[in-house]
Amino acid sequence: MIEPAKTKAQLDEEFAELYRTHMRDLYSYAYYRIGNHHDAEDLVEQTFLQAYRHFERAQRESDGRPLRPWLLRIAHNLAANHYRYRSRRPQTSLEESGPVAAVHSTEDLVSGRDELARVLEGVKRLPDDRREALIMRFALGMDNREIARALGRTDGATKVLIHRAIKQLEGMVALAEAGL
Amino acid sequence: MSGPGNVESLLREALSPVEPPADLVSRVTSRLQSISDHAADELESWELAAMRDPRNWLRPAVAVIGGGAAGAGLVLLRLHQRHRRDAEGGSEWTHAGGADGDADAD
Repeated sequence: MIEPAKTKAQLDEEFAELYRTHMRDLYSYAYYRIGNHHDAEDLVEQTFLQAYRHFERAQRESDGRPLRPWLLRIAHNLAANHYRYRSRRPQTSLEESGPVAAVHSTEDLVSGRDELARVLEGVKRLPDDRREALIMRFALGMDNREIARALGRTDGATKVLIHRAIKQLEGMVALAEAGL
Repeated sequence: MSGPGNVESLLREALSPVEPPADLVSRVTSRLQSISDHAADELESWELAAMRDPRNWLRPAVAVIGGGAAGAGLVLLRLHQRHRRDAEGGSEWTHAGGADGDADAD
Protein backbone atom coordinates (compact mmCIF):
# COMPACT_ATOMS: atom_id res chain seq x y z
CA MET A 1 0.00 0.00 0.00
CA ILE A 2 1.31 3.47 -0.83
CA GLU A 3 1.47 5.76 2.17
CA PRO A 4 0.08 9.27 1.69
CA ALA A 5 2.77 11.96 1.40
CA LYS A 6 3.68 13.56 4.71
CA THR A 7 3.12 17.24 5.28
CA LYS A 8 6.12 19.49 5.74
CA ALA A 9 5.21 20.07 9.38
CA GLN A 10 5.18 16.31 10.00
CA LEU A 11 8.55 15.87 8.31
CA ASP A 12 10.04 18.76 10.27
CA GLU A 13 8.79 17.31 13.52
CA GLU A 14 10.22 13.87 12.68
CA PHE A 15 13.51 15.41 11.67
CA ALA A 16 13.70 17.35 14.93
CA GLU A 17 13.17 14.09 16.78
CA LEU A 18 15.94 12.48 14.70
CA TYR A 19 18.56 15.07 15.53
CA ARG A 20 17.62 15.25 19.19
CA THR A 21 18.03 11.47 19.39
CA HIS A 22 21.35 11.28 17.54
CA MET A 23 23.04 14.55 18.45
CA ARG A 24 25.30 12.98 21.07
CA ASP A 25 26.36 10.10 18.79
CA LEU A 26 27.12 12.47 15.94
CA TYR A 27 29.01 14.78 18.22
CA SER A 28 31.07 11.96 19.73
CA TYR A 29 31.92 10.66 16.27
CA ALA A 30 32.85 14.13 15.02
CA TYR A 31 34.94 14.92 18.05
CA TYR A 32 36.99 11.71 17.96
CA ARG A 33 37.23 11.84 14.17
CA ILE A 34 38.41 15.46 13.90
CA GLY A 35 39.99 16.07 17.28
CA ASN A 36 38.64 19.42 18.43
CA HIS A 37 35.33 20.77 19.58
CA HIS A 38 35.13 23.73 17.25
CA ASP A 39 35.33 21.68 14.06
CA ALA A 40 33.27 18.88 15.60
CA GLU A 41 30.38 21.31 16.16
CA ASP A 42 30.71 22.53 12.62
CA LEU A 43 30.71 18.99 11.24
CA VAL A 44 27.61 18.05 13.24
CA GLU A 45 25.78 21.15 12.05
CA GLN A 46 26.70 20.53 8.41
CA THR A 47 25.70 16.87 8.72
CA PHE A 48 22.22 17.73 9.94
CA LEU A 49 21.77 20.45 7.33
CA GLN A 50 22.63 18.01 4.60
CA ALA A 51 20.50 15.27 6.14
CA TYR A 52 17.54 17.68 6.25
CA ARG A 53 17.66 18.13 2.48
CA HIS A 54 17.36 14.40 1.85
CA PHE A 55 15.37 13.33 4.87
CA GLU A 56 12.13 12.49 3.08
CA ARG A 57 13.89 10.24 0.58
CA ALA A 58 16.01 8.61 3.26
CA GLN A 59 12.90 7.79 5.27
CA ARG A 60 11.23 6.30 2.20
CA GLU A 61 14.22 4.21 1.26
CA SER A 62 15.23 3.14 4.76
CA ASP A 63 12.25 0.82 4.86
CA GLY A 64 11.90 1.23 8.60
CA ARG A 65 15.59 0.63 9.39
CA PRO A 66 17.32 3.05 11.79
CA LEU A 67 18.73 6.19 10.22
CA ARG A 68 21.82 6.46 12.44
CA PRO A 69 24.15 4.77 9.89
CA TRP A 70 22.88 7.16 7.21
CA LEU A 71 23.65 10.19 9.40
CA LEU A 72 27.10 8.83 10.16
CA ARG A 73 27.74 8.19 6.51
CA ILE A 74 27.01 11.84 5.75
CA ALA A 75 29.36 12.87 8.57
CA HIS A 76 31.99 10.42 7.30
CA ASN A 77 31.86 11.92 3.80
CA LEU A 78 31.95 15.48 5.11
CA ALA A 79 34.90 14.66 7.37
CA ALA A 80 36.77 13.13 4.44
CA ASN A 81 36.11 16.27 2.37
CA HIS A 82 37.21 18.42 5.28
CA TYR A 83 40.59 16.68 5.35
CA ARG A 84 40.95 16.75 1.58
CA TYR A 85 40.23 20.49 1.59
CA ARG A 86 42.72 21.14 4.36
CA SER A 87 45.40 19.02 2.71
CA ARG A 88 45.12 21.16 -0.42
CA ARG A 89 45.27 24.40 1.55
CA PRO A 90 47.97 24.35 4.21
CA GLN A 91 46.58 25.97 7.34
CA THR A 92 47.13 26.06 11.04
CA SER A 93 46.74 22.79 12.90
CA LEU A 94 43.28 21.72 14.03
CA GLU A 95 43.87 22.63 17.64
CA GLU A 96 45.01 26.13 16.65
CA SER A 97 42.28 26.75 14.15
CA GLY A 98 40.02 28.90 16.28
CA PRO A 99 38.26 29.28 19.59
CA VAL A 100 37.42 25.95 21.15
CA ALA A 101 33.83 25.85 22.29
CA ALA A 102 34.36 23.56 25.26
CA VAL A 103 37.22 23.54 27.67
CA HIS A 104 38.19 19.89 27.93
CA SER A 105 40.54 18.11 25.53
CA THR A 106 40.89 14.42 24.68
CA GLU A 107 43.69 14.25 27.19
CA ASP A 108 41.48 15.68 29.92
CA LEU A 109 38.99 12.91 29.30
CA VAL A 110 41.52 10.27 30.34
CA SER A 111 42.65 12.32 33.35
CA GLY A 112 46.29 11.51 33.08
CA ARG A 113 46.00 7.76 32.99
CA ASP A 114 48.92 6.60 30.90
CA GLU A 115 47.35 3.46 29.54
CA LEU A 116 44.27 5.25 28.27
CA ALA A 117 46.38 8.06 26.91
CA ARG A 118 48.48 5.57 24.94
CA VAL A 119 45.32 3.94 23.57
CA LEU A 120 43.91 7.29 22.50
CA GLU A 121 47.19 8.30 20.95
CA GLY A 122 47.21 5.00 19.05
CA VAL A 123 43.63 5.57 17.85
CA LYS A 124 44.62 8.98 16.48
CA ARG A 125 47.44 7.43 14.48
CA LEU A 126 45.35 4.68 12.91
CA PRO A 127 44.33 4.98 9.26
CA ASP A 128 41.01 6.86 8.92
CA ASP A 129 38.83 3.83 8.12
CA ARG A 130 40.16 1.82 11.08
CA ARG A 131 39.85 4.78 13.42
CA GLU A 132 36.28 5.41 12.32
CA ALA A 133 35.31 1.78 12.78
CA LEU A 134 36.67 1.83 16.35
CA ILE A 135 34.90 5.11 17.16
CA MET A 136 31.61 3.68 15.93
CA ARG A 137 32.08 0.44 17.82
CA PHE A 138 33.38 1.75 21.13
CA ALA A 139 32.13 5.34 21.43
CA LEU A 140 28.75 4.78 19.79
CA GLY A 141 28.21 1.09 20.58
CA MET A 142 27.26 0.22 17.01
CA ASP A 143 27.23 -3.40 15.80
CA ASN A 144 29.02 -4.65 12.68
CA ARG A 145 25.96 -4.30 10.47
CA GLU A 146 25.37 -0.66 11.40
CA ILE A 147 29.05 0.18 10.98
CA ALA A 148 29.04 -1.56 7.61
CA ARG A 149 26.13 0.58 6.46
CA ALA A 150 27.76 3.76 7.71
CA LEU A 151 31.05 3.00 5.97
CA GLY A 152 29.52 1.52 2.81
CA ARG A 153 31.16 -1.90 3.31
CA THR A 154 29.96 -5.45 3.68
CA ASP A 155 29.42 -6.94 7.14
CA GLY A 156 32.34 -9.31 6.58
CA ALA A 157 34.72 -6.58 5.46
CA THR A 158 33.72 -4.52 8.50
CA LYS A 159 34.43 -7.40 10.87
CA VAL A 160 37.89 -7.77 9.34
CA LEU A 161 38.45 -4.00 9.49
CA ILE A 162 37.68 -3.86 13.22
CA HIS A 163 39.80 -6.94 13.94
CA ARG A 164 42.79 -5.43 12.11
CA ALA A 165 42.28 -2.07 13.79
CA ILE A 166 42.41 -3.67 17.24
CA LYS A 167 45.48 -5.73 16.29
CA GLN A 168 47.29 -2.67 14.97
CA LEU A 169 46.36 -0.70 18.05
CA GLU A 170 47.66 -3.45 20.32
CA GLY A 171 50.95 -3.31 18.48
CA MET A 172 51.17 0.47 18.82
CA VAL A 173 50.35 0.42 22.52
CA ALA A 174 52.86 -2.37 23.15
CA LEU A 175 55.57 -0.36 21.40
CA ALA A 176 54.65 2.76 23.35
CA GLU A 177 54.80 0.81 26.61
CA ALA A 178 58.21 -0.51 25.69
CA GLY A 179 59.29 3.06 25.09
CA LEU A 180 59.99 2.53 21.40
CA MET B 1 49.41 -4.58 28.93
CA SER B 2 47.57 -7.87 28.29
CA GLY B 3 45.54 -9.24 25.36
CA PRO B 4 42.83 -7.95 23.02
CA GLY B 5 40.16 -8.05 25.73
CA ASN B 6 42.13 -5.50 27.66
CA VAL B 7 42.56 -3.24 24.64
CA GLU B 8 38.83 -3.42 24.02
CA SER B 9 37.96 -2.44 27.57
CA LEU B 10 40.51 0.37 27.43
CA LEU B 11 38.97 1.51 24.15
CA ARG B 12 35.53 1.55 25.73
CA GLU B 13 36.87 3.74 28.50
CA ALA B 14 39.03 5.99 26.32
CA LEU B 15 36.33 6.56 23.70
CA SER B 16 33.57 7.44 26.10
CA PRO B 17 30.69 9.39 24.50
CA VAL B 18 31.21 13.15 24.43
CA GLU B 19 28.33 15.43 25.40
CA PRO B 20 27.67 18.12 22.78
CA PRO B 21 27.54 21.74 23.94
CA ALA B 22 24.14 22.58 25.39
CA ASP B 23 23.36 25.18 22.74
CA LEU B 24 24.16 22.98 19.73
CA VAL B 25 20.63 21.56 19.43
CA SER B 26 19.08 25.04 19.56
CA ARG B 27 21.63 26.33 17.05
CA VAL B 28 20.87 23.51 14.59
CA THR B 29 17.13 24.07 15.13
CA SER B 30 17.36 27.77 14.35
CA ARG B 31 19.55 27.16 11.28
CA LEU B 32 17.03 24.64 9.95
CA GLN B 33 14.14 26.98 10.72
CA SER B 34 15.79 29.85 8.88
CA ILE B 35 16.56 27.61 5.88
CA SER B 36 12.98 26.42 5.82
CA ASP B 37 11.58 29.98 6.06
CA HIS B 38 14.02 31.23 3.46
CA ALA B 39 13.03 28.44 1.08
CA ALA B 40 9.31 29.29 1.52
CA ASP B 41 9.96 33.00 0.88
CA GLU B 42 12.09 32.20 -2.15
CA LEU B 43 9.40 29.98 -3.59
CA GLU B 44 6.72 32.61 -3.09
CA SER B 45 8.72 35.44 -4.64
CA TRP B 46 9.93 33.16 -7.42
CA GLU B 47 6.34 32.31 -8.35
CA LEU B 48 5.31 35.97 -8.39
CA ALA B 49 8.40 37.03 -10.33
CA ALA B 50 7.87 34.20 -12.77
CA MET B 51 4.34 35.40 -13.50
CA ARG B 52 5.60 38.93 -14.21
CA ASP B 53 7.98 37.65 -16.86
CA PRO B 54 6.17 37.59 -20.29
CA ARG B 55 8.26 34.59 -21.32
CA ASN B 56 6.36 32.59 -18.73
CA TRP B 57 2.97 33.58 -20.07
CA LEU B 58 3.18 31.26 -23.06
CA ARG B 59 2.68 28.07 -21.09
CA PRO B 60 -0.46 29.21 -19.20
CA ALA B 61 -1.79 30.73 -22.46
CA VAL B 62 -1.26 27.44 -24.28
CA ALA B 63 -2.94 25.64 -21.38
CA VAL B 64 -5.96 27.99 -21.54
CA ILE B 65 -6.24 27.68 -25.35
CA GLY B 66 -5.76 23.93 -25.21
CA GLY B 67 -8.31 23.58 -22.42
CA GLY B 68 -10.78 25.81 -24.26
CA ALA B 69 -10.36 23.86 -27.49
CA ALA B 70 -10.84 20.56 -25.69
CA GLY B 71 -13.99 21.90 -23.98
CA ALA B 72 -15.40 23.22 -27.25
CA GLY B 73 -14.63 19.88 -28.94
CA LEU B 74 -16.48 18.08 -26.18
CA VAL B 75 -19.52 20.32 -26.54
CA LEU B 76 -19.54 19.79 -30.32
CA LEU B 77 -19.24 16.05 -29.85
CA ARG B 78 -22.17 16.01 -27.43
CA LEU B 79 -24.27 18.12 -29.85
CA HIS B 80 -23.37 15.82 -32.70
CA GLN B 81 -24.29 12.74 -30.63
CA ARG B 82 -27.60 14.29 -29.62
CA HIS B 83 -28.30 15.23 -33.20
CA ARG B 84 -27.59 11.67 -34.33
CA ARG B 85 -29.76 10.22 -31.59
CA ASP B 86 -32.57 12.54 -32.53
CA ALA B 87 -32.14 11.65 -36.18
CA GLU B 88 -32.15 7.89 -35.40
CA GLY B 89 -35.23 8.31 -33.19
CA GLY B 90 -37.00 10.18 -36.05
CA SER B 91 -36.38 7.47 -38.70
CA GLU B 92 -37.73 4.78 -36.39
CA TRP B 93 -40.84 6.83 -35.98
CA THR B 94 -41.02 7.37 -39.74
CA HIS B 95 -40.46 3.67 -40.30
CA ALA B 96 -43.20 2.78 -37.85
CA GLY B 97 -45.46 5.31 -39.49
CA GLY B 98 -44.69 3.73 -42.85
CA ALA B 99 -45.60 0.29 -41.56
CA ASP B 100 -48.82 1.62 -40.25
CA GLY B 101 -49.42 3.15 -43.59
CA ASP B 102 -48.82 -0.21 -45.26
CA ALA B 103 -51.23 -1.86 -42.88
CA ASP B 104 -53.82 0.74 -43.65
CA ALA B 105 -53.29 0.16 -47.31
CA ASP B 106 -53.98 -3.54 -46.82
